Amino acid sequence: MKKKSILSLLLATSMTAALLAGCGSSGETGEAPAAESGAETQESAEAEAEAETPAAESSSDEAVTLTVLAGQSTTDAGIEDMIDEALAAKYPEVTLEWECVDWGNDFQPKMQQYMQSGLPDIMIGKAQDVATYAPQGILGEIDAAYLDKGLDAARENVTIDGKTYGLVYNALYQGVYYNKTMFAENGWEVPKTQEDLQAIIDDCNAKGITPFASHMVDTWSIGNVTMQFMMNDVFNNDPTWGDKFRAGEVSFAEDKAAQTAYEYNKLIFDNTYPETFSTEQTDCDAKMVLGEAAMKVSGSWSIQNFLDIDESFDFGIFPFPNQTGDSKLIFEPNITIMTSAATEHQDAVNKVLDVLTSDKELAVEILDYTKTASMLKDVTPTFANPSQADIDAYAADNMIVDVTLGNNQLVWGGFQEENAKDIAAWLQGDESFEDCLKASDGRVDASSAN
Amino acid sequence: MNEKKKISHMEKKMSRQYFLMVLPGFIIFTIGLIVPLFLAVRYSFTSWDGMSAEKPFVGIQNYIDLMKDPEFRNAWWFTLRFTIWNTVIQNVVALLFAVALDSGIKAQKIYRTVLFVPCLISALVVGFVWLKMFSNVLPALNDVLGTNINFLLFGEKRTVLRGLLIANNWQWIGYWMLIYLAGLQSVPGDLHEAAKVDGAGPVSRFINVTLPMLAPAITICVVGITTGSLKVYDLLVSSTKGGPGRASTSVIYQTYTTAINGRQYGYGSAMSVTLVLALLLVAMIQVKGLKKKEVQV
Repeated sequence: MKKKSILSLLLATSMTAALLAGCGSSGETGEAPAAESGAETQESAEAEAEAETPAAESSSDEAVTLTVLAGQSTTDAGIEDMIDEALAAKYPEVTLEWECVDWGNDFQPKMQQYMQSGLPDIMIGKAQDVATYAPQGILGEIDAAYLDKGLDAARENVTIDGKTYGLVYNALYQGVYYNKTMFAENGWEVPKTQEDLQAIIDDCNAKGITPFASHMVDTWSIGNVTMQFMMNDVFNNDPTWGDKFRAGEVSFAEDKAAQTAYEYNKLIFDNTYPETFSTEQTDCDAKMVLGEAAMKVSGSWSIQNFLDIDESFDFGIFPFPNQTGDSKLIFEPNITIMTSAATEHQDAVNKVLDVLTSDKELAVEILDYTKTASMLKDVTPTFANPSQADIDAYAADNMIVDVTLGNNQLVWGGFQEENAKDIAAWLQGDESFEDCLKASDGRVDASSAN
Repeated sequence: MNEKKKISHMEKKMSRQYFLMVLPGFIIFTIGLIVPLFLAVRYSFTSWDGMSAEKPFVGIQNYIDLMKDPEFRNAWWFTLRFTIWNTVIQNVVALLFAVALDSGIKAQKIYRTVLFVPCLISALVVGFVWLKMFSNVLPALNDVLGTNINFLLFGEKRTVLRGLLIANNWQWIGYWMLIYLAGLQSVPGDLHEAAKVDGAGPVSRFINVTLPMLAPAITICVVGITTGSLKVYDLLVSSTKGGPGRASTSVIYQTYTTAINGRQYGYGSAMSVTLVLALLLVAMIQVKGLKKKEVQV
């Protein structure tokens, strides 16, 4: 009996302790002060950085292991080995302990976990992550010595209050990939307006060709294309639409342009194969390459699959036409290197940044492997990208827009991602369009990174 | 007197040993389960985003919002249907398989192994395997056989539950079958003999002898399947991702996406608290109800 009492007492004590720990406000008890301590250490890290950078030149050769959280896109898996090899050649004393996760599903959860227990020394995510995490005071400022090796255009969306917290390494392009051979054979011109696009769709249907390849089983693909549509029909006209949305000045239920962006999903759904909700990306890309569909709204991540399936596949890219016929090709800064403000190994971190920004061979190897564009000065990938001519043409006409503008205002996790589920339900007839719009409006509080 | 002292000393020693043996499990259980549970209860009264240092107290607002949240209601509706169908199908089929294997059929060990192997595979792999089965493998059969059967079960709201039940039952029936098989093999042969002498046929013997003797196994299986199904998550991650739309979003899936991806940790904690309460309630009702039916030999 006595033992039972002791056990009960122990259990009750531990429960009470847990409750007290939970109840303690962080401001008073210092519990979970990741952000606060992060802010403090950021200042000291900045001071250190000012005094020592570029650390890569002045540091010791003491062996250091840095932890890296890499939120990767499907195209990125494998670049860690390339970086390890290049780092070992130049700075053998620095080794990286990688934790590679899927950016879409696992990067944010991992970051939340590490914000409680201490961040890794280096984090690799996307440019939009800077807007989420920098205001928490946990990211270190990247030294200008490394930033200067990147393109100026890469800095804008990773700079907050004049401080740059991300080193953008490469970029993706998003738009409509089209089968050039099929377009030539059928006499189709690259569409600029919705009417042009509809004419191609009609001709496809008349000839028994599936107009669009799509893989809606991956809800992220619905979310991705919806942001592409939003960029050209909404943000191109109103670059602060997301902020106005939060201020209650605009809404999905009332804004015709936003509704049109959602409705483009229906256009694709009505003009794709019936098994789209059971088709994965690889199968979808294969259908495109095998000539089973004429177009695919996607991004550079499809190029790897296209060329893996058929090296000689000839494809181009154009922006999905908007209502005003002035669509721009979407540009997305992709691999973005962030550092912890609280790292105890700033010298070693700088060595990694040094390798990443100065080793052009490594950069070309990564870009060729990921089939992406460079964000470093004087670095050009050498892989044959059939859509490069189109990209260059849009760049020359200044018809390229950075999607970070939209992604920073309407965040992916908790907003775009959730809206995509409602869009999927609407496409399947399980939800009305009005309810779908209402659900997006209802998520207004989750639309901001902060 | 000496003998009494000896026994008392022995008892003390034994108690101390029991206590020491329980201690590691107790510590792990407390740290891994009890502490997070109480933290979740605390967070459920806040609007914490999971990142910032502040955890603003909002009282029971999260619980009020939950009652009005159609997505949460949908998640519960899916979870309940998934649980009920799983509990019925897995129990019935597992019991039938166990009876078949207990009847002394040939190659019993091979059947037992084949049926048991799927439960050794991770649910994530099972989800991926069945996604491929429904999307690629089975539709290819249509081409071979010249048929037009709809195998794309994960692709539509009206069929997605069916697809998931197939995948989940394929994985777990063998496991529960083994528990039933062990139960069947522990039924004393004398009871069957006695019933036979009394003129009971096979069906009557099964209903009046076997089933009551299997009551402890039924309790284990029903509670295990129910609570396991209420917690379904990993199978969904690799197969339907909660879709199409939200058609296969379970309570845990909804909780995870809300708390972690949606950065509404407080609201997500409230969701998890309701799930824990539901699990406790269901398990208690089932154990109480089923225990009454158990017989001891």
